[in-house]
Amino acid sequence: MEYLSTDKILVIDLNSAQVEEEELDESLVEEKIGGIGITKYLYDKYIEDDPIVIGTGLLSGTTYPASASGQITAKSPVTGKVCHCPVIYKAGVEIKYSGFDYIVVKGQSQSPVYLWVHDGVADISDAADIWGKDVWESTDALRKFVGDDLLQTMMIGPAGENGSDHAQVCYNHWTSPDRFGFGKLFGSKNLKGFAFRGMGLIEIAEPEDYVERSLEILKEVKENDFLEKKGIAQILSALGEEDVEAWIEPIIHRHSADFFTPYATNTALFIDEDPGLLEESKKDEPGVLVSDVYALLGFKNIGLSAVDAGRALKACAKYGIDPFAVAQFSGKTTIEEIKESFDSIKGVVEIPGSGHFSPWCPTRPIFNDFGLSGDDEITAWWERRQAVSMIFGIQPIFCLMCPELTEENMLELASIGTDLELTQETLDAVIDDILG
Amino acid sequence: MGIQINALKCNNCMACEMVCSYHRDDGFAFLSACIVSYRAKEKKDYFGMLLKEEDVLIVARPEGIEINKIGEEADPDKEADASAKPMLLREGCDRCEDMDDYGPMCVAFCPVDAITLD
Repeated sequence: MEYLSTDKILVIDLNSAQVEEEELDESLVEEKIGGIGITKYLYDKYIEDDPIVIGTGLLSGTTYPASASGQITAKSPVTGKVCHCPVIYKAGVEIKYSGFDYIVVKGQSQSPVYLWVHDGVADISDAADIWGKDVWESTDALRKFVGDDLLQTMMIGPAGENGSDHAQVCYNHWTSPDRFGFGKLFGSKNLKGFAFRGMGLIEIAEPEDYVERSLEILKEVKENDFLEKKGIAQILSALGEEDVEAWIEPIIHRHSADFFTPYATNTALFIDEDPGLLEESKKDEPGVLVSDVYALLGFKNIGLSAVDAGRALKACAKYGIDPFAVAQFSGKTTIEEIKESFDSIKGVVEIPGSGHFSPWCPTRPIFNDFGLSGDDEITAWWERRQAVSMIFGIQPIFCLMCPELTEENMLELASIGTDLELTQETLDAVIDDILG
Repeated sequence: MGIQINALKCNNCMACEMVCSYHRDDGFAFLSACIVSYRAKEKKDYFGMLLKEEDVLIVARPEGIEINKIGEEADPDKEADASAKPMLLREGCDRCEDMDDYGPMCVAFCPVDAITLD
């Protein structure tokens, strides 16, 4: 696969500590397009080895607006279903630029390891020094070891090592869309996580056409009034939770976006620093970056102050546990009690629709109505939109905001970029397969 | 005519970095960009942009713009920043003079208009 691709699939066998590479055949892209179309195919191919499959969308890391997302596909140890978790922030793009479109991890290691993927090379590395450390300590240790603060990580913390049903795979220092207990799955394989860094080059079949169309679509996107807004509180307002804004506003520092995403879906809360500070804080850990709107709302709903909600989110990120589940099921109302409850939290997070996609992503349109009405129609639209976002690698929350990101223009760009004829019929078939 | 950066409008999305590198490499990459998102202080949520022009390095911080003449001795009172070094090895901004249809790519593709041309 020559274009929009690294042309490589990495297959790692933790049982034998062997690493192999396969080429990504064009015929597979013609049949499955990319992203979770192909991670699902690879999951089925290696199903006997209980695989974890990491992937990127066909448009990930390009000039198509919001092409930010990667994916984790695996069987949830909690629900027993094959689920797809978006890889957000800057981590999804880094996967592709580190040299691989897809990574299959088979089996179970005899001792703790992490996978260091960089510039087309993959190493199974001893994780003895970071096993037992929390997510923040682990990410900091690997960045220091490699000497690169831009290293992107997917790590578990103590929750994953201890086998919690609500253990998350976290990205860098932050909580993730993982509501499937993938952190528990990583822990069961003695897999502490991944570190990615790369300076690859992705070629395009028709580069000038691709970039020109991308810019036309971006200009259409920028016509939306909602782009005057920023951050998680305004998303919650659009979902009918208007009083969150006044509650959280005093501790908001700044908002930031995933790769090339016009709306800033992440909000930094400063809980041990002046939120209005413009200069670099002299404190090492002034706050926490939040992308999980329902976790924030959950902590508000159990009566925490905004500052304590920030502290709870930070503690969850360090421990590697789903903050939404903590807010829902801990039954505690003080920050110390909440932290002490991490290892004993029980409860099942409801996964909407067919159970393949994370309700970290709001289950209805945001800022625009997309012409939808009725719960059934909205749920069916949401599932299809999630599938499409993770086939092409588009930031999944932004996909719920922006009607200008259409299946038609994603297919158009994919075809321009690859020189393959990718049709609506193919996309429909891929989505049908994903939704089972 | 010069590129202006408003670091407070920037949402740290790296689009500028991607399209700047595209202008040089005709492929998608980040390695050749003369404008980059400064994002090494992730836990502190401290970010902005660096722009290398022919003989100056512009550091667009949230608290303001700093223009450093390349080759001048660094301020001994300021902590050295490792991220500046690879920038100094890159080609300076040419305002995408060969991209007739676009002008500077970083300006055209910034989704929040944090980069402008005056």
